[in-house]
Amino acid sequence: MSVRWETEGLQTVGIVCLVFMFLKLMHLLGLIDITETDSSDSDLELSTVRHQPEGLDQLQSQTKFTKKELQSLYRGFKNECPSGLVDEETFKTIYSQFFPQGDATTYAHFLFNAFDQDRNGSIRFEDFVIGLSVLLRGTVTEKLNWAFNLYDINKDGYITKEEMLLIMQSIYDMMGRYTYPMVRDEAPSEHVEKFFQKMDRNRDGVVTIDEFIETCQKDENIMSSMQLFENVI
Amino acid sequence: MAAGVAAWLPFARAAAIGWMPVASAPMPAPPRDKRRTQDGLIILNVSGSRFQTWRNTLERYPDTLLGSTERDFFYHEETNEYFFDRDPDIFRHILNFYRTGKLHYPRHECISAYDEELAFFGIIPEIIGDCCYEEYKDRRRENAERIEDDEDKDNSNDLPPPDMSFRETMWRAFENPHTSTMALVFYYVTGFFIAVSVMANVVETVPCGKTQNRVEMSCGDRYALAFFCLDTACVMIFTVEYLLRLMAAPNRFKFVKSVMSVIDVVAIMPYYIGLVMSDNEDVSGAFVTLRVFRVFRIFKFSRHSAGLRILGYTLKSCASELGFLLFSLTMAIIIFATVMFYAEKGSTASKFTSIPAAFWYTIVTMTTLGYGDMVPKTIVGKVFGSICSLSGVLVIALPVPVIVSNFSRIYHQSQRAEKRRAQKKTRLARIHATKSGGTNAYLQYKRNGLLAETEEEACKEAGQALVCKANPVFETEHHHLLHCLEKTTNHEFVDEQTFKSSCLEVSMVKAPSRSSSISSATSGGGGGLSSCCSRRNKRKSFTVSNANMAGRRGSVQELSTIQIRERPITNSRSSLNAKFDETVRLNSEPPYLTAAVISMPTPPVTTPEGDESASTPDFLQSNIVRVSAL
Repeated sequence: MSVRWETEGLQTVGIVCLVFMFLKLMHLLGLIDITETDSSDSDLELSTVRHQPEGLDQLQSQTKFTKKELQSLYRGFKNECPSGLVDEETFKTIYSQFFPQGDATTYAHFLFNAFDQDRNGSIRFEDFVIGLSVLLRGTVTEKLNWAFNLYDINKDGYITKEEMLLIMQSIYDMMGRYTYPMVRDEAPSEHVEKFFQKMDRNRDGVVTIDEFIETCQKDENIMSSMQLFENVI
Repeated sequence: MAAGVAAWLPFARAAAIGWMPVASAPMPAPPRDKRRTQDGLIILNVSGSRFQTWRNTLERYPDTLLGSTERDFFYHEETNEYFFDRDPDIFRHILNFYRTGKLHYPRHECISAYDEELAFFGIIPEIIGDCCYEEYKDRRRENAERIEDDEDKDNSNDLPPPDMSFRETMWRAFENPHTSTMALVFYYVTGFFIAVSVMANVVETVPCGKTQNRVEMSCGDRYALAFFCLDTACVMIFTVEYLLRLMAAPNRFKFVKSVMSVIDVVAIMPYYIGLVMSDNEDVSGAFVTLRVFRVFRIFKFSRHSAGLRILGYTLKSCASELGFLLFSLTMAIIIFATVMFYAEKGSTASKFTSIPAAFWYTIVTMTTLGYGDMVPKTIVGKVFGSICSLSGVLVIALPVPVIVSNFSRIYHQSQRAEKRRAQKKTRLARIHATKSGGTNAYLQYKRNGLLAETEEEACKEAGQALVCKANPVFETEHHHLLHCLEKTTNHEFVDEQTFKSSCLEVSMVKAPSRSSSISSATSGGGGGLSSCCSRRNKRKSFTVSNANMAGRRGSVQELSTIQIRERPITNSRSSLNAKFDETVRLNSEPPYLTAAVISMPTPPVTTPEGDESASTPDFLQSNIVRVSAL
């Protein structure tokens, strides 16, 4: 009895196999269509997007760079990003290469948002150059504004402790593990506390732009360090 | 850090302003910004093709020639450009490397030319991009194999050094039967005996005739004594051969470990074990098994046949493919055997009694043999049986091309080696003909004794119109140089025939010359003298820095005739042995002879190639022990 069952079971298996192979053969011959979701098309979109920057003269009027400097900057920019747009991943990769010991991706994310003014997920050459112009050739107030913009993650005009903590953590992340003395877990929050003690005048738990600028202008160290990178280009 | 990213460094530094307000300590001073030159265009003139690029592009890689101050050596002031006398086609790729950060290898370029260019411009080949790296490495390996083959096979065709020890002579004779007649005879005799032995093993089992009891007797039993004698003779020969080889081997341990020696041992062992063992019933079973090993004598033929060796080597190199084949076959066999067993279980009088029994059917079907001793009877069985045979074809067909291509590659390699050796002789002869024109010029120049005269007269008297036309100034200076060398070492240049004849004579008069040699010559002197020919053979690295005759790796005598001529100079015990022309002349000026030159510095004409420094010590050594005229 069991022998019969086994044979019949095998017969069923055999028939199923045959049917399956027949279907596959039909599909191969193109007579029927067993479709699967194909994802090959989606990759095309990103590569065809290209961006051309505004004209040289316009950029010159918008920034404080000379024509030659703009040319040099654009050449470097285009070499790394031929499509004319930097997306966040590329930006993170490039920035991380300068900080091999630690993890610079979080800070790069904040930087990216600071540069990407119109929040469209990619930095165009104009954004890049305008940001650089502020950083390198702007007045101290403009630079402080830029820094405030960087710290204010949700761009609501106030720096809260949580935002500052995130920023601080990302800066400490860039240091990596091998530091002397070792970075303790409480170091970022302590640093944030110190910052708020210095900056938050009215002790309301947030730092506004005016408090920020006022405090920084009174601090000599900060003032002198703002001038540090004048000659980078 | 990728060079392209270096362009973003200013940006990264600028972005550091974001840290300033939170900094707990004052910032360090920025590096002094030496007024950086404005980025300008650089013109690179490579053999007439002008390439232009930004200065910054080149400076991305400061450890290469173009990116460092080294390029200033190539600056050409009159035209305000950098001039390189190199190949512009390959330079294109090198410049692209600076521009894009990726180095590509063009497939149509010769690998050595490309390597040279890379070395010149200070770029390490490891940065070739992934797209081209594999091709580059393959070509390089091929080229290296080609050159390596050249060197390995060289010595076998040359004159043997005259005073090899008996042991070395024997080893040479064993390894290369074409070196002497004795070796050839030995080679054929052993081959013959291998064949005889194998044939005897085969014929032994043929039935020939019946005994009284109507029982078939094999020839081996009928003529037992004859076969035994034959076997003994063969084994004697093999044993003697093995022992001789063992004695002659330069590295006995390595020889014992080698495959051929193992085969030899396995071939002769059964006989001795059979002698030793008694006619005991119990052990005779094992004895019979041992006789099977006698068939391994046939593998001794692989010494005689290169094809067999290639096959063996191929199988060894395809071990992983064969392993895969075996594994996949095993998997398929087990699957199909199980299926067939259960499919056929129902049918009456089925031959598929168990799964292992079904293995046989599966193997026979998958390899498309189909003996027909086991056939499925049920429909399901037949269906699965047909699927089995179809899949068998596929599974076996897959690894086979890999093995075939491996075999083909190795076979072509060995063929190429043979072809190269055949072509080498004609090539060398032709090169020799073109070179001897130039080198003879110097000899003629000297022979006519015109050392002090002007160059025009030398030309006239020498009568070599060719030489006069081609760059006379160079020739004069070169001849002067050679002459200075002669005066330094108190030896003279001769031509090849004289040297060859002298070398042969030297070997003949070796014994007496040794005894009469001056004691200061040390034992190396005799060896050194006799090794004059060997030095000539082994010289690989010296190139004659002669613009007219760019002597390349002169591994065989004809290639650099000048270096050969120097050999007798360093080696000659001129007054003692030779009947050279020059020694006749030298003999007439005894004062020169007495000034013994003990160690000659490496002659300025020959400059050793940097890479093969192995031969350099040889040469120096040979210099030092050489005590010339005495």
